[in-house]
Amino acid sequence: MIVDSLVFAADGLVEALDAAGIERAVVCPPRARGHGYDVENDRVAELVRSHPDRLVGFARVDPLAPGAGAELERSLGLGLRGLFLHPWEDAFAIADQAVDPLIGEVPVIVATGYPWVSEALQVGELARRHPQTQVVATNGAQINISGLGQRDALLALEASPNLLIHTTGVYREDFLEGVVERFGPERVLFASGWPRFDPRLELLRVEWAPGLDDDARTAILRDNAASLLGLA
Amino acid sequence: MHVDHLPALGWSLEAAECVRRLDEAGIEKGVVMTIVDAPEVNPHALELIADAVAAFPGRLEAFARIHPWYGDEAVALLERAIVELGFKGLKLHPVTTIAHPAEDDTLRLIRAAAAHGAPTLFHCGDEPLTTPLAIARAAEACAEATIVLGHMGGYFHVDEAIAVAERHPNLLLETSAMPYPAKIREAVERVGAERVLYASDGPACSPRIEVEKVRLAGLDPAAERLVLGENAARLLEAVR
Repeated sequence: MIVDSLVFAADGLVEALDAAGIERAVVCPPRARGHGYDVENDRVAELVRSHPDRLVGFARVDPLAPGAGAELERSLGLGLRGLFLHPWEDAFAIADQAVDPLIGEVPVIVATGYPWVSEALQVGELARRHPQTQVVATNGAQINISGLGQRDALLALEASPNLLIHTTGVYREDFLEGVVERFGPERVLFASGWPRFDPRLELLRVEWAPGLDDDARTAILRDNAASLLGLA
Repeated sequence: MHVDHLPALGWSLEAAECVRRLDEAGIEKGVVMTIVDAPEVNPHALELIADAVAAFPGRLEAFARIHPWYGDEAVALLERAIVELGFKGLKLHPVTTIAHPAEDDTLRLIRAAAAHGAPTLFHCGDEPLTTPLAIARAAEACAEATIVLGHMGGYFHVDEAIAVAERHPNLLLETSAMPYPAKIREAVERVGAERVLYASDGPACSPRIEVEKVRLAGLDPAAERLVLGENAARLLEAVR
């Protein structure tokens, strides 16, 4: 079984997972436009109800919006299992203390690597303040095609054992290999980032990464997400 | 591809590893360059690459990374690289040099390369000084030069890279590390397969995965052959 730790709710999701051979996925709301996140969270909950064996839903809120905490609680009551935050799209800084009241027992995925708002060390600050919460940084905790974000990503991973990374779009397979070697495969989760990213290519970053052994691949592609999400 | 030794970054990229990765991916030939520039921070950058190419006859070709701010010395280094050492192009990475793509020192080097029919490969990503619109100013100023947008805009500037390539016929798009197979197909459809180049950014990026990325673009066989090799071969052969 392959578990994709981040896709977004959009038409064609299940077909895209099928085409890539992905059995299960964490589905998050895309950016809300013209309405609040209650509408998007409801859509994700409905999508999960339609595909309960395939999808696990995460809620999304804008931490600076009135009622963000109540919306998160409402969404968790609908069966959503975690929190997704996108500081760039929703215009807030991840290390802002306004985020803190939202962080609790459920895992948190943070769109990471965006300048000024969700740099690796900023996401690391959130993880440091909430050591009991699993914080997952997307894109290897850095989106930079020069590799300029990698040093900060490693520092953040070193500082916070509760910080994990997604594999999506990561620049250089040897970065992923280095994280596995230094921190263990349990800190890395496969995620495709569909629909922006192509699951067929994203799988190859793990399946064909020259320096990963079979145990590490299995952990990244399945076991780590299953553990995080409490999947059977 | 890169050959360099940078303990400060924890990166050690060997020519033998480049060739091993080429073999693994079924690639006949790779273009290698350093991570840092001559004469600073590595005064021996050209020799490092020349030695790598000599160690694997017929498998590697060389591009020279040179810091534009060294004026006459920079031009002399490029002349030596192309004329004496057989280098086939110039590589500029403005993140490391902070030299703007369209400033006079940079344009002088681009023109010196173009005088030999040699292309200039720019790192073209999301960082200031490397964006497609900045490099397009150099393409406009040096219409006689072939300029390659390495990574074709990175993560968030790919649409702009394709757009500026449509406007400037001397711009080519290079696919390495850019994570969207569908954008390779779009680039071929909008600017033509003759102006889209496969590259891996290996050995740290997997050449095998990067080839498969091009295949996932779903090009027709003739276009795929151009992108995966024929275009690069044509560029390398044109250098005099």
